[in-house]
Amino acid sequence: MSNNEIDIVSVIESKLKEKVQIQLGQLGTATINTSNGLHRDVLQDMVEADQKTAITAITGLDLGANLGVLYHIRTSNAFITIRAEVPKDNPRIQTITDIIPGAVFHELEVSDLLGVVFEGNSLSGHFVLSEYWPEGVYPLRKDVKANEVKLNPPPPDVSQPEDKSIVKIIIGPQHPALLEPEKFAVTVEGETVTKVEPRIGYVHRGIEKASESRTYIQDVYLVERICGICNACHAYGFVAAVEKILKTEVPPRAKYLRVVALELNRLHSHLLTLGHAGLEIGYETLFQYFWRDREPIMDLIELTSGNRVYASLMTIGGVRRDLKDTDLPKIKTTLMQLRKKLPFYRQLYEHEPSIQARMKNVGVLKREDAIKLSVVGPVARGSGYDIDVRKDEPYEAYDEIPFKKIVYTSGDTWARMNVRMDEVEESINIIEYAIDHLPTGPFRVDVPRNVVAGEAVSRNEAPRGELFYYVKSNGTAYPERVKVRTPTFANIPSFLKTAIGENIADVPPNFVSLDPCFSCTDR
Amino acid sequence: MPNTVTWARVKSPWVLHFNSGACNGCDIEIVALLTPKYDVERFGIKLEPSPRHADVLLVTGCVTQQCAERLKRVYDQMPQPKFVVAIGACACSGGVFEGNYNVVGGVDKILPVNAYIPGCPPRPEAIIDGVVKLLNALDPPKPKKQPKQEKQPQLPKEEAKLVAAQPEVIVASPEAKPVIEEAKSDVKQ
Repeated sequence: MSNNEIDIVSVIESKLKEKVQIQLGQLGTATINTSNGLHRDVLQDMVEADQKTAITAITGLDLGANLGVLYHIRTSNAFITIRAEVPKDNPRIQTITDIIPGAVFHELEVSDLLGVVFEGNSLSGHFVLSEYWPEGVYPLRKDVKANEVKLNPPPPDVSQPEDKSIVKIIIGPQHPALLEPEKFAVTVEGETVTKVEPRIGYVHRGIEKASESRTYIQDVYLVERICGICNACHAYGFVAAVEKILKTEVPPRAKYLRVVALELNRLHSHLLTLGHAGLEIGYETLFQYFWRDREPIMDLIELTSGNRVYASLMTIGGVRRDLKDTDLPKIKTTLMQLRKKLPFYRQLYEHEPSIQARMKNVGVLKREDAIKLSVVGPVARGSGYDIDVRKDEPYEAYDEIPFKKIVYTSGDTWARMNVRMDEVEESINIIEYAIDHLPTGPFRVDVPRNVVAGEAVSRNEAPRGELFYYVKSNGTAYPERVKVRTPTFANIPSFLKTAIGENIADVPPNFVSLDPCFSCTDR
Repeated sequence: MPNTVTWARVKSPWVLHFNSGACNGCDIEIVALLTPKYDVERFGIKLEPSPRHADVLLVTGCVTQQCAERLKRVYDQMPQPKFVVAIGACACSGGVFEGNYNVVGGVDKILPVNAYIPGCPPRPEAIIDGVVKLLNALDPPKPKKQPKQEKQPQLPKEEAKLVAAQPEVIVASPEAKPVIEEAKSDVKQ
């Protein structure tokens, strides 16, 4: 049976026709307006009709008297938004974590930043904000002047009586294995991990709120700085959403140039992770090799955009800079040299005993769990859950460029790293095809500064997986709301599941195989 | 004896990297420093995981509310004498995130800073330059004897402009506090 034949909208229409309103073509394939807890029924029907139903994001909105909650759901062939509203003075809504367990952190974030209470969610408390943040103040509400919020004083240092039978290993915020400040409290019994408690938010910079007080053009550079690694994908996600509201058609040359920028981004990110994995398993030579081969890619990014890290190539209506014909041979030679080195690394991953010992059968995530936890990107594709936004919902020039969707089925750390390895080769192919078939013509079009009122979502495949943007405009030069759901945020639940029952020494390779990026996660 | 200590410190500074809420841009550039193309270990610079063994604290990021306290604690654990280098626009002043609700903004609001390396992110060469300038400030290299009457080669006009436009790394003196105000005002100009 092919899942691609299910028309999820007509399924909902036949089952709940009287009770819900369906708007086709809005915020994805369709928007379903619900009330009185019907969002659960809609979701239940979707999960029953299509086993690949998973959650992408939950967006919280301040609508004045009410708070809006938008559930963005992806199925095998559609992208549905379920809209619900709750009154601001009693913002309670029923959880969906029993239908889709992967929604737990999404709900937690909305309740932390907007104050929506999800009844039935097993977790509570601050997830993104500081532990000293005052109760009852929600920064994303429009009436809250978040800059003027005074934090509670830290409580006096009282050492709590600890249960001596439980051994807790605290990893972070400052830890040699983590490049970024995050905390994981790992409970162990002997050498076996029994529980992992995450605490994110150390890198929370309030970018979603800050973007509301900057113009659209300024926001492109602001959202780009959510993450220094996949910056082009962030900038692209934002401009794509704004272009959807404006109904701007981007010229063909810009589409190809965007693909080149996005794929260069993926190349350097994957090489970085493949190297970092070597470091985590104590194989420093591998780390040095991969990073040596990553430097020419950084040079290419500099060649095409003018900067090593922040490309700042995307702008609303196209790209900011054209590719010179004289630069094309250099790009081709560099990519060819990288391609020549790949068989060596492949052979290392196939035959090197230390890689086999540390990565095979470590952190196995089954396909059913991958769907339930709604993981994305190489983590999903390593477990046989074949989602890739570039193929499922092609954007820019991806529908014209031939490339393969890489899927492995074993679901362990080794499979996830191999997905990335194969994607490096695919990215090289894509860039080569794109610069060979570069259309002529303009590379940007003019767009108005004020954006008409409306809302749009955009999805793209960042190196770590599906990156989601929701933008709501109100007719001025400033957006009303920008919501970002980053791939690592969706992938953390898989680590919490796979780490349990494994050896404590396997935590680092398992963790790094998610390619975690916390500046993305916290925003 | 003091000369020996300074010599050892300058020839082999151990650095600790702390991310106080950065976007990973600067952090990745710091890691890139250790890899074959830039390889700062040839200057004796070694990335040290523990604050208790570190001489220099490299701070990136705009210092979020959650990190401010931890940053102070990491700094307190380092043995004297210790130096702080703020890497990137965010660490220097808060950068694009200045004024956001969860951001303290600028490492110098929490710690005394010895060197500022601006850039978003600074290039690896700029970071090397900044650290080497800090080390030179500890133990100024003796002036070499000038060869007799050798004229400085004149750069063509355009090239001279380019050289002048290179961002300067500002280094305060190693005796941190009193000089810092001066250094900061330089940055703002």
